[in-house]
Amino acid sequence: MKRTLLFTLLAGAASFCALPALAADSSECSNLPGDAVLSARTPQVDLYDAPNGKRIKSVDQDKFPKCLAVTQRAPNMMLQVSVDGAVVWVPPHMVNYRLTGKKPAICRNLAMGGNDTKVGATRALGEDCPQKVGAP
Amino acid sequence: MTSPAMNSSLGRAARTWERARRPDRTHVEALKARVPYWFVVLVLIGFSILQIMLNPFGFSDLTQRYAQDIANLLITGPYLYPTTGRDQITVALIDEESLHGLQMPWPWRYGDHARALGALLDYRPKAVVVDFLFVDERNDDTLPELVDEIGRYKKAGVPLYFEGGIDLPYGEAPLLPKLAATGVPILDPSIELYDGVARQYPTSGHCYRGGGDTCLSAALQVFKDVYPQYPLAPLNDKMELVWGTKTAPINIKLNHDANGKPQPCSEERGALVRTYRAFFDKHTAQSACPYTAIVPIQALMMGLEDKDVSALILGHVIFYGGSLQGAQDKSFTPVNSRLQPNVFVHAMALDNLISFKGRPQQNVMTLGGTTFSNNPVQIMAIVPIVLILSYMHMRRIRWRQQKTKRTRGAVMEWFLDKGVEKLWHWLAFFLALGIGLLLAMWVGLSVANWAQDVFLSVELAAMLLIGLPDSIWGYLHHVAGGRPAHSEGAS
Repeated sequence: MKRTLLFTLLAGAASFCALPALAADSSECSNLPGDAVLSARTPQVDLYDAPNGKRIKSVDQDKFPKCLAVTQRAPNMMLQVSVDGAVVWVPPHMVNYRLTGKKPAICRNLAMGGNDTKVGATRALGEDCPQKVGAP
Repeated sequence: MTSPAMNSSLGRAARTWERARRPDRTHVEALKARVPYWFVVLVLIGFSILQIMLNPFGFSDLTQRYAQDIANLLITGPYLYPTTGRDQITVALIDEESLHGLQMPWPWRYGDHARALGALLDYRPKAVVVDFLFVDERNDDTLPELVDEIGRYKKAGVPLYFEGGIDLPYGEAPLLPKLAATGVPILDPSIELYDGVARQYPTSGHCYRGGGDTCLSAALQVFKDVYPQYPLAPLNDKMELVWGTKTAPINIKLNHDANGKPQPCSEERGALVRTYRAFFDKHTAQSACPYTAIVPIQALMMGLEDKDVSALILGHVIFYGGSLQGAQDKSFTPVNSRLQPNVFVHAMALDNLISFKGRPQQNVMTLGGTTFSNNPVQIMAIVPIVLILSYMHMRRIRWRQQKTKRTRGAVMEWFLDKGVEKLWHWLAFFLALGIGLLLAMWVGLSVANWAQDVFLSVELAAMLLIGLPDSIWGYLHHVAGGRPAHSEGAS
């Protein structure tokens, strides 16, 4: 009984101490309306020139600016932001970001394919012929 | 002119031929009762060897695979197979809906794969297996992004595996040289199919980085590296896959029909209904959803905190694969009513290894360092059954001889005969079942590799019930000139 009481008190104290941290997190970039990139999430953040483009450069976590307004969201989830005056795209998994709209639900029809039919064609996976390396 | 000796031998041959052509029924019937134990055993073992080795009408194979499928659907899947492996493996799937939703048409560029792998790494998986082949050289300047991502995995200490092409034309590299140069482990993606159904899994595969003629197959290599706490048993030939039927809860949650309405993966009913369906309407007993948990790549790419995604990737072995129409990378499984992407076959093989702690079920038996293939094992397993059934048959013959001295009513006689007949078949059935289960528990032999013995033992019991070995003995003995005791006494 004493142990349970002690545990409850300790857990309560820990939660109380954690409150300011949580509050700070949720209030981060509160002056920025709409969708926003709050901070870097991964050790490096890759910056791209377009949603389906090429990586321009990688920025270390500590050098990546905080509180960036998201000016556009691509269908492939890439986020357009402005870093040091340049318009770039960042992959959402590399940053902590705030989404103001409703998070899209992901549902699937997992009853994939038929039980007695199969596609009788091959998908064109890259139209180039394979290049033989070292072949005579 | 012929000599008397020649006359005598010709006469013997003629009499033998006459007996073979027109046997004396009463003599044969009387000689049947003198069948020796060794002859009964010989006939039964001979019949068993013929059936097991020659596989007449494909009966042997069909019985094996049918028994394996039914066992998966009715016994091992729902009741015996634990979810230990399922709870440690996830498939991150690029499916058509992800391509459509993300507006990223297939094939993806190297950079796109790098982003997907990066998103996975962010959730701290235990290991990641890339189930895509990167064989062709393509004009794509994002290749360095994928090379860098491999470096990030190394830095984070998360094992990352790629798969290599097999049966390629001479000179074709199994993995793009620039990717191979990173030193990333390359696995053999081969799987085993029987009539289009994935029931087995190879234990060995190509060695892409030296190290001998054969290396471990994909799932075995990952298991050996990632689960060192379970020493991998020495495996020969193939693994027999046990397919689970308790679909991962996330798949049931994800599954919606084309109109966005939630739908169950399978119609769960009681054991009785399930058994009925398994035998008479197999498709309704199977699940439409894969067994292993799925995280659609679309959910990963969003990068938003998601409890489901976090729980399914953190500390899990991830198979990163695709379910793409026209990519010809799908197979049937014994427990799914639909074609499943082959990434789930690799996942199931690893699942078996985890659940059986490195001692999966096999199609061979290893005893004292010697590996016996399927057929010799089945013959060895049938021998004790033959010995026991033959012994009981001999007792029955002796008992019948005694019985003739007693008299019983016709009705009583009929019931006794029918009762003994039924009991006899069930005895043979359970005898074989018991030996099979012993083999499964003792040496990890899969049900597919001893189920035929169960059917065979019932056939042997039926042969003994109609007295086939006795009749053969009676006939041969008669042809060879044997005479029943009463006839010998008369002459």
